[in-house]
Parts: sequence; C-alpha cells; structure tokens
Amino acid sequence: MLKSKVLMVKTRSGKILKIVREHYLRDDIDNGLNGVDLDDHPMLENDLISSEHYIIPDTNVVLKQMDVLEHSCMRNVIILQTVMRETKHRSAPIYKRLRTITQNKDKKFHVFTNEHSIDTWCERRPKESSNDYNDRFIRVATQFYNECLSERNQKAVLLTNDKANCDLAKKEGLLAVTVEDYVRNIVGFPELLDKLAKADEAMEVDKSISYPEHLKLSQLQTGIKSGRFKQGKLNISRQNYLEGKVLPQGEGSKEILIQGRMHLNRAVNEDIVAVEMLPENQWSLPSDVILDVSVQPGAEISESHAEDLKKKHGIPTGKVVGIIKRSWRSYCGILESFGSPDMTRHLFTPAERRIPRIRIETRQAKLLIGQRIVVAIDSWPRFSKYPQGHFVKALGEIGDKDTENKVLLLEHDVAHEPFSQAVLNCLPSANWSIPDEELRKREDLRGLPICSVDPPGCTDIDDCLHLREWTDGNLEVGVHIADVTHFIRPGTALDIEARSRGTTVYLCDKRIDMVPELLSSNLCSLRDDGDRLAFSCIWVMNHNAEIISTRFCKSVIRSKASMTYAQAQMLIDDATQNDDVTIGLRGLNKLAKILKARRTLNGALSLSSPEVRFHVDSETHDPIDLETKKLRDTNSMVEEFMLLANCSVAEKIQKEFSDCAVLRRHPEPPKSNFDVLVNAARTRGLELSINTSRELALSLDEAEKPAENVHPYISVLLRILATRCMYQAVYFCSGLESDFRHYGLAAPIYTHFTSPIRRYSDIMVHRLLAASIGADSTFSDLLNKQEIQQICNNLNFRHRMAQYAQRASVALHTQMFFRGKMVDEQGFIIVVRKNAVQVLIPKYGLEGTVFLDRDHQGNAVGTSNLEYNEDACEIVANGVLLKVFDEVTVQISHDASNIQHQRINLHLMKPKIEGISAP
Amino acid sequence: MSLFGNNLSDAEKCFIIHGIQDDFRTDGRSCDNYRTIELAVNVLTNTHGSSKVRLGNTELLVGVKVELGKPEKATPDEGRIEFHVDCSPNATPAAQRKAANKDFVNNIESMLVRTYANKIAIDLTSLCIIKGKMCWIVHVDVLILECGGNILDCTSLGVKSALQDTGIPRVVVKSGDEGEEEVELPDDPFDVQHISVNNVPILVTVSFVGTRHIIDATVEEESCCSASVVMGVTRRGRILGVRKQCGGSLNPETLVEMLEFGKKSGRQLHVALDKMLKSYEKGTTGYL
Repeated sequence: MLKSKVLMVKTRSGKILKIVREHYLRDDIDNGLNGVDLDDHPMLENDLISSEHYIIPDTNVVLKQMDVLEHSCMRNVIILQTVMRETKHRSAPIYKRLRTITQNKDKKFHVFTNEHSIDTWCERRPKESSNDYNDRFIRVATQFYNECLSERNQKAVLLTNDKANCDLAKKEGLLAVTVEDYVRNIVGFPELLDKLAKADEAMEVDKSISYPEHLKLSQLQTGIKSGRFKQGKLNISRQNYLEGKVLPQGEGSKEILIQGRMHLNRAVNEDIVAVEMLPENQWSLPSDVILDVSVQPGAEISESHAEDLKKKHGIPTGKVVGIIKRSWRSYCGILESFGSPDMTRHLFTPAERRIPRIRIETRQAKLLIGQRIVVAIDSWPRFSKYPQGHFVKALGEIGDKDTENKVLLLEHDVAHEPFSQAVLNCLPSANWSIPDEELRKREDLRGLPICSVDPPGCTDIDDCLHLREWTDGNLEVGVHIADVTHFIRPGTALDIEARSRGTTVYLCDKRIDMVPELLSSNLCSLRDDGDRLAFSCIWVMNHNAEIISTRFCKSVIRSKASMTYAQAQMLIDDATQNDDVTIGLRGLNKLAKILKARRTLNGALSLSSPEVRFHVDSETHDPIDLETKKLRDTNSMVEEFMLLANCSVAEKIQKEFSDCAVLRRHPEPPKSNFDVLVNAARTRGLELSINTSRELALSLDEAEKPAENVHPYISVLLRILATRCMYQAVYFCSGLESDFRHYGLAAPIYTHFTSPIRRYSDIMVHRLLAASIGADSTFSDLLNKQEIQQICNNLNFRHRMAQYAQRASVALHTQMFFRGKMVDEQGFIIVVRKNAVQVLIPKYGLEGTVFLDRDHQGNAVGTSNLEYNEDACEIVANGVLLKVFDEVTVQISHDASNIQHQRINLHLMKPKIEGISAP
Repeated sequence: MSLFGNNLSDAEKCFIIHGIQDDFRTDGRSCDNYRTIELAVNVLTNTHGSSKVRLGNTELLVGVKVELGKPEKATPDEGRIEFHVDCSPNATPAAQRKAANKDFVNNIESMLVRTYANKIAIDLTSLCIIKGKMCWIVHVDVLILECGGNILDCTSLGVKSALQDTGIPRVVVKSGDEGEEEVELPDDPFDVQHISVNNVPILVTVSFVGTRHIIDATVEEESCCSASVVMGVTRRGRILGVRKQCGGSLNPETLVEMLEFGKKSGRQLHVALDKMLKSYEKGTTGYL
C-alpha cells in the first residue's frame, strides 16, 4: 500500500520547502518472533514482571542508557525502526553502537521495521508534535507485539523514562516501566546499576559553584549569524586544563583564549562551542604555569595567576556562552581513592589531562580502585563542579602492561579490534601464488639484484632497491614497492577498513596493523623467500646522481636478500664481498650521499627527536634495557631513495591528475613560531637565521661547530627545539589547495608512495599512479576531489593519533623501566617556565618537568623565591640561576607511593637548590 | 475567444446560431447552462494546495505553492500572488505552435492578474509575516491539459478551489537580540492557515452568438461568437474587472444585459462550488 509522508523543512537559506516522500506499507514484515532473531523463551528474570517478556526501549532510553543495553544480560530486545531513525538523527556515535549490537547475533536484538508494517503504521494526527507521533508509533508497535505474544503467554515491555508516554501506555493497557525500575529489579546482575546513566533530576547540588546558564541553540544561532558570538572547537591546553583556545570558523579568524572554570562554563575538550568576546580590558595571556592535575590545590593557583595576567596587555579572550555540539566520548582513567570505598559517589580522574574529573556513582568502588576503568559523561548540571557520568567497564589492573596498552589505544582512538569476517573474506588464500596471467601483464624483474634494508625485526617490508651499471656508463636505479593495491581493491570491506584505520600503529611491543597480517607480513611483504608483486620506479642516472629518465611499471621481483641496516653496512664495508647485491649497495650508498648533499644545499632541514629502543624481557615482556637508536649510512641511503621515489611519483600524478592527486605538504611556519628557539640560542651566543628553511638549515649546521662555553650537545637540542616550532606535514588533495611546498624537505612537491602496507595514503597514490600508466582500472571515486580531501583529513587525524599513541607507549615503557630504580643522570634544560624547568635526558630520550615550587617530597613551597625572566629564558630559584641549555644532573625515580598516579619524578641534583633539591 | 480558429463551415455555423436563437444548443443545453463540471482538490501532494477541473472537454490542473519572500517596496505589509499558466501542446493541435501558445496563456494570465490585483479578491496583508521584510508569495500554476472551450471560466474555478485547499505553514516570528527576526516552522505539518477565498472572483465569459448571449461556450460556439465579455464576479456579485473579447461590436444595452447575466451566473456558480468543496472530502472528485 502506498502512503506518502509529508514534511516541511526550513533550509539553511531560509526557504521553506514541502517535501513529500513515498512510503510503502507491507504485510510481510518479520516480527522476529519465529525463533531466529529472538529466542522463543526470553530469559531475563525481573522482579517487576512476572511473565517472560521481550523489551522494547524508546529512543531516549537508547540514547541515554546505551551502556546498559550493551551489557551481556540485556538480550531479546526489539529495536523499532522509529527508535533507529530518531537515534540516527540525534547522535551518530550512539547510532553506530546500536548498529553494532543489532548485528551481534548473540545479543538477540531484533530490528522491527514498524513504520513499514501495515499493522503498526500510524497516520500523523493534526496537532500532534513529532515526539508524540514517534511515541505513538512505539506504543502501537508494543501493542502489536503484545497481541502476537498473547497466545504464548509472553509480554512485550516498553522501557521509557518519559512519564507522559508511560502513563499513556498504561492507559492503553501496555506494560511500561522506567529503566531505573527495570534495572533495579533484574535478578542476578547488580553491576548493571552502575551503568545506569543518571537522570537529570538526580543531580547533586554543589552550593559552592553555579555556572552561568547556557543559551538556547536558537539564540546561539542568531548570535553567530549576527557575529556577536564565534563558533569553534574548544581545544584545552595540555599544560593547564582550565585554559583553552577556540579557533573560530571562517577565514582569517584569530584564536580566542578562554581561561578559568567559569569562562569555560562546562565546555569539555573538543566540544563545538559558541564564544562571546570579553571587553578588551579583560583580555589575558596564556599562563606559563604548568598545572599538575594530580595535585588538587594547583587548580586554585592558576586562577589567581590568571588575575595578575589580566593587568598586562593580552590576546583576544572570551567566554563560552553555549554549547553547539558535545563531543563526549568514553574516557579511560582511574577512580579517586579518597573517601570511603563504601560510599557510592566517587570522583573519576581521566587519563587525558584535558578532561575534567567526572563524578560517578558506583557500588563496586572497592573492586575498582587500583584498576583502569572507562567512564562516560552523561550531563553537566549548572550546580555541579564536575560533570556527572557513569561507569562503563573495567580494563584491568593499573600498571599491568596489557591494561595500559589498552588505555593508550582507546585514548588515541586507535582501532585495535581484530579484523571482521567481512574484511577477512576479501583476502586471498594463505598459499596464494602469482597467477600466470598476472605474470604476463607485468614486467619480469626477477633477475635483478634486488634487496631490502630495514630495521631489525621488521616483517612488513614495503620497499626494495637495486642498482646496476649499464655498459654506456649510466646507472639504472630501481625502487620497488609492495603492490598492495593488487590485493586491496577499491570499495571492498578491506579497503574501507584500511581507509578508516589510515595507518599501522607501532607501539613499543606491539604493532596494530592497518591491513590483515596475511598481507602485511606475507603476501605483500617483499621478503627474500620468493616472487612478489611490486610497483617499481626505475630511474636512469649518471654518476652525479642526475636523473636522465624515470619510468614506472608494475612488476614481479625476487628479493635476493632482506637485510638489517647493520648487515647492509657490514656488506658495504667488507671489501672481500663482491657479488651483485653488494656492488649495487655500494653504488646506491654513493649516489645517496650525493643526493643528500644536494638536498641539504637546497635547504632541506635535518631535524632531530630523541628516539629510543627498548630491550624487552622475552618472558615478562617488561623492558629491561634501552638504547637510543643509532643512525648508520644505510639508514639514510634507504631514506634518500624513498624521498626521490616519492618526489618522482608526486610530479607524475600531479601532472596526470592535477585536480585530484594525493600530495603531502609541510606548510612554512610563521616567523613568530621560532621566537622561542631564537631566544634560546641567543643565550648561548648563537644567532639563528630563520628567514628560509635554507638559512635555518645552514645556521643549525653552523651551531654544530665547536665553540667555547657551548656544550656540543646543544646543537642537537637546537634541532629538537626547531622541530617543535614546525607545523605538521599533512596530506591534501591537489585540486583544493594551491601551496604544495614541503618546507622541511625543501621540495616543491611531495607525496607518500613507498609504504603502502602501513599507510593508506600510499595506497591512494598507488591507485592514481597505476591509472596514469594504464596498469590498473579506474573507479569513480578516484577523481572525486571532495571525497579525497575527506579521506586525507581522516588520514591526517589518524597519523597524529598514531604518533601520540607511539609517544605514550614510549612513556609507558620508560616508566616501567624505572620501576624500583633511582638513577642520577645528566640532562639538559630545554624550556624554562614560570614555576618549573623542562629537562631532557638524552640517554633515555626522556623529557620531564622539574618543579621549582615544590620540595623533593612534592610539598608546595610557593613561588616567592622564584624570579623568572622570560626573554632571557632563565629563572633564579633560591639564588641559583637556571638557564636554558644548562647541563644539570637529575635524579630519576619512579614514584609509586600513590598507586593511582604512578609516574616518573625528576629532582634536581646539580646545581643544588636549597629547599628544592633532594638531600 | 478561442485564439485557435477552427474550421467550421458556414452551414455548421448557421446551425449553431439558429439553435442558440431557439435556446437549444448543439449539446442540448439552454443558453444559461454550464456543462458538467468535475472537480477534485488536493490532487498533488507536492503542492500546498491543488485542484483538477474538467468542464465539458476542457481540463486543467492547478497547483499552489507558497514561498518566503520580500514584500514589494510600495506595499511593505502585503504578500503577493503570482499566476503562471502553461498549456500542454496536447491540449489542442494549435497549441503546438509556440507563438500561438504563448499568446493564449498570456491572455489567461493577464485576466487572472487583472481580477486579483485589487484589495478585495484576496487579503494580501494576511500573507505578510514581517512588515517590509518577509511575506508569503503565493504561486498559482495552471496547466491546461485539454482545450474544449471556455478556458477562462474553467481556470478560475480551478484557481479558487486550489486556493481554498492551500495550507500555509503557520510560522512563528522570533526576534533575536539585534532586531534580527527569524521565522520558525511549526513542528506539526497540520498547523497551517488557510487563505480566505470569500471574495475570490470567478471568471464568467458571456458570449454573444447571433442574437443571443450564452455562457460556457464550446469551441464550436466560440468560433461563431461575434463578441464576448469576461468578468470576474465575487460571491456577493461584485464585478472585479471586465474585458471584452472578439472583434464584433456590442450595443450598450446588450452589454448591460450581458453583465447582469454574467453576474447572476457567477453568483450561482460560487454557491454551487462552495457547497461542493464543503461537502466532498479531499481527494475525491465532485460534480457541480
């Protein structure tokens, strides 16, 4: 039967449209009761309901109590299409979770398309609000189920928290209960109560605080339209959780500073907020104070600090007047230990420093203390200092490596669950070999002396090299990259999964693959155990490393050797070896040096960041030793040719697809970014020139020359600091951007081509390149600019998260390494702040904060004895001068006194400062 | 008034004229009778109001759409009503000729505009939302499906029915802080206001054939007509706009007679139409 659905819509430009959609009703829609989707005998004992029953939640229950629904005991639930539709409309993340549960066969969730069933369709009545209409849909469907179930003596129970709806349902003879009542009376699962999201009325009134009221959305929209408010995403400072910045939408807008609890007005990191500017005389400056979250009084200090700062001339400052979109997620963290564990109200401290503490209610506090747990925020009422939340799940013991790994993957939004069956179905069989047909289509390079050089233990080898000399004296150099796109076809489940993961994440003891292991470590990995498919980039060069010609082809290769950097270096150095591979390596090494010198001359920066490698105990998997990574010639040899291949490919795809090439650019940082670096260098009598990347590179090289009063390690420190002044390089679609330059590499155009096993961007580049040489078929999204840019944005986000996760993993291992140790080590001051100095310890690649306003036991001693000089990058503490780049000795210890806050403490040993240094 | 001449022979014309003189027309009607009128409203769900009318062999479809717009400078507190007429090329063979088609529809449009362009037909101030800033613009689109004579009367019947059927969303004006006014749509799609059609005119064409005047001329009768008068008649019998068509001249007394006759017929038509619109449910066809 055909019906039509009529709706009135107001468009963004203010037009009012009447939209009519055809709507078909059917009489053959499955109600799920035939034993496939739902059990015949739903077993969930509940004291409230005497008979066997199925549960029908309404939309608000799904939106608010997802954690309850996700619990394993909630089975045999009927999700109505009306609920699905409304959920989708109201919250995308909840909708995704709902979809996941409904697809889980064990959960026995049945989706009933009630709006298309002729038995449960209702026509909208005049004067009925859309909410009432939806509620009626739900009641009619419940009624329908009750009729279906009556002969079995079973019931359908409507779960709703809406009182009006509940009353109406009861009037219609339906069984309707609130979620609280239902959960409270479930037999056998008392822990479910913790997962119950708090209803607003149950909030606790904290008399000490009263936040300003948020404006309504309509008021915000008119305000934003008129320019009175600015809209943007809130970015809380990593140093100080009571300070944040908002970058308003629109071209040329400046960041707005937001300071203090009241001005932040319950906004949480990453929320989209509306901001009202403060009058200019109240403008402020970001504070230089590092706020240590674990020490509660710190919060108050910062607010008094903010007061002094206002007297100075500040930057644009505003206050949050309303929230446009919350981006709350679940947070990992720990339960605060203070208060009796028998109480039900507790505070939760998230691992992410930028998130405020969350008030939760739990009856299992005894059990949860000492564990990492996940908590979701439900609401943040005006009279509550902290947001209200509820317990979601426990991850495991604090300090346990698996738990901590889980925490950092969750916190960085790294998808680490095993690949789904749909993805695995896209894989070829494990004993796949190259079919003859494929061999005929490809260039056969199996005879060439190809080899790979990688770090030790690498199983996902994406690149191989070869070099041979032609009789005419020219050199043929080839870079062969794993042909991943042969296996990952566009649009398949595998492709979509890889696209959303974006990159492989390397933790210290674990690798989270972007593509399943069969591909990453076997079929695609260019190991020396057989034939592999490759995408080759082959140059003809002369002995001065000048390119004479470039070509690209799909090929079949057979790697002669998979080497580590050290092995390759040994071969090159060993004069007795004279096989093809070794000769090739020597030639490559020679060319690489020329290429590198040329690149440096063009202004490519060689930057530095301390990198360490852990030796892990084979049984406990705890780190037992660590070393900083060594750089050999061979490292830079591989790197040079990869850069060259990337540049050649970038030029090619940009020429062929000028509108939709996937490129990588590194924007030039504004001069002001370097202020800190230049100031710091000046304290040591070094003048850095920062006008162009070339000048910077030269002056950094200049700093390497030994001079008086200058510690040789300072040049490394300068490079580390310089790295921090830069922007991050990003992927982008060439059709939507005009500046292609890569600042760090001093390249006019650049992309990523050489690691398709671990980066999705390279897969996109492979597809473009393959299409441009006619080696592969094209597909429609290949040329979709907007789509490409969207994927690029996701990749940029994933890369950043992967980096953070990596760093967090190193930090975690460092902490475990120092467990029970106390070491004095040499370090360097790299940043001086108002109440602390940041110290880098090269031996461990460890960077930490030495607080100067506390004694060695962590008790605050105040800031009265500190004299901070920002311009000179120095601070005088109790008469002792500390300058940037000073060499100091610090005592590193692992502080486990508080099991909740295990961390590494640094104390200044030399120079000794009275009252601060450890005795 | 047909612009599309047809090829009746003199004998045929003579037959028609003689019949009319005896108050007995070729289809059996007397001079003051309309042919059967079939009418349906709310036939197009995509519009805000619609109707379909069939008068003898003349058939047309009317759709009304409303949109937000800015009032004219001269009349800041009034909305607007705009007419657009289209003639399907299948309506009559002559309509396939572009130029003739255009003249034909322009003629209809101008007559509609003439009878609606006054303060009586429709209370345009009721269409104003924010004085000088925002008002409803009512677009009336007529699609002629078949031409069987007396297209103007038929069109006006369709327009009145469609306007009666039109529901305009009852928007609420909210004022922002800076004097910015915004309209908000009601959540309920049934929350609409109707345009008052109490004073909407119906066009009545009185044709002078031979020595008598008739209403609702067929195509054949139109080709025998020496002169005709179209007038917009309101329910109360008020005449809003008159136009004389065809080349022939009219005696002043005859003209007065014709006007009186048209007025009387128009009032009867209004009564019958209103009765029908009231008694028949939406979506069903009714007969007058």
